[in-house]
Amino acid sequence: MGENAPKESSGSDEFDATQYHVVVKGDTLWKIAQKYYGDGSLYPSIFEANRDILKDPNLIKVGQKLRIP
Amino acid sequence: MKRNLVRSCILLLVSIVLVSACARGKGPAEIAIKGAEEAITTLKAEAVKYIPDEVRSLEGALAAAKDKFAKGDYKAATSEAQAIVDKAKGLVEVAKSKKEELAKTWGTLSAGVPKMLAAVQSRVDILSKSKKLPANVTAEKLAEAKSGLAAAKDEWGKALESSTAGNAADAVSRANAVKGKAAKAMELLGLPVPAGAQ
Repeated sequence: MGENAPKESSGSDEFDATQYHVVVKGDTLWKIAQKYYGDGSLYPSIFEANRDILKDPNLIKVGQKLRIP
Repeated sequence: MKRNLVRSCILLLVSIVLVSACARGKGPAEIAIKGAEEAITTLKAEAVKYIPDEVRSLEGALAAAKDKFAKGDYKAATSEAQAIVDKAKGLVEVAKSKKEELAKTWGTLSAGVPKMLAAVQSRVDILSKSKKLPANVTAEKLAEAKSGLAAAKDEWGKALESSTAGNAADAVSRANAVKGKAAKAMELLGLPVPAGAQ
């Protein structure tokens, strides 16, 4: 579920308010949505926010840094 | 009789000398006070928005100098009025640097704070659709974050109005308040608070 994944904002912008999740083994968008939103069915929000790096919501890779809107 | 006449003449002479000595100081004092008034007027035009306390203090000093003038203490009135002119000149530079500092701060806040508001709005919208909230967010926290966001957006509108009206100090003050409200809402929602808002 990416419990150790960084949750902090990153980047050089001191006001960057983006939350990120780094994908770990066993993660799915459903599980990530469950972790951050409490409801796995809201995974499309994460998918849409990461369309630049995700082509398929069922295909995420370990190490990918996902924006959590 | 003759002695009295001599005494009266001496008294009259002394009085004339004293009055003329005093009158000699009145003119320069008037000029100095006028100069101080002009210096404050020039300073106020720009500086009152940025250093209102210092301007008020200078106005107080001018009132004190005028008071001394009214009481006939022309020497003190002149000296104080001249000091006001010098101080006013220095404050013009202080106001200028304060203006630049506020413009820079506003630039940073006006670029950064909307990002925080957008992040909070996005999370509030998503969590409002959630059937079950995440472990670190209770219904009370979400409700508090929503009301905090509404207040922050309202305050942000006022900050923008102040900036448009040229009131940089008020705009920055309001923007800092919005930053605090947004940071609080982010904490309630379990969002990371950006470094610039900590």
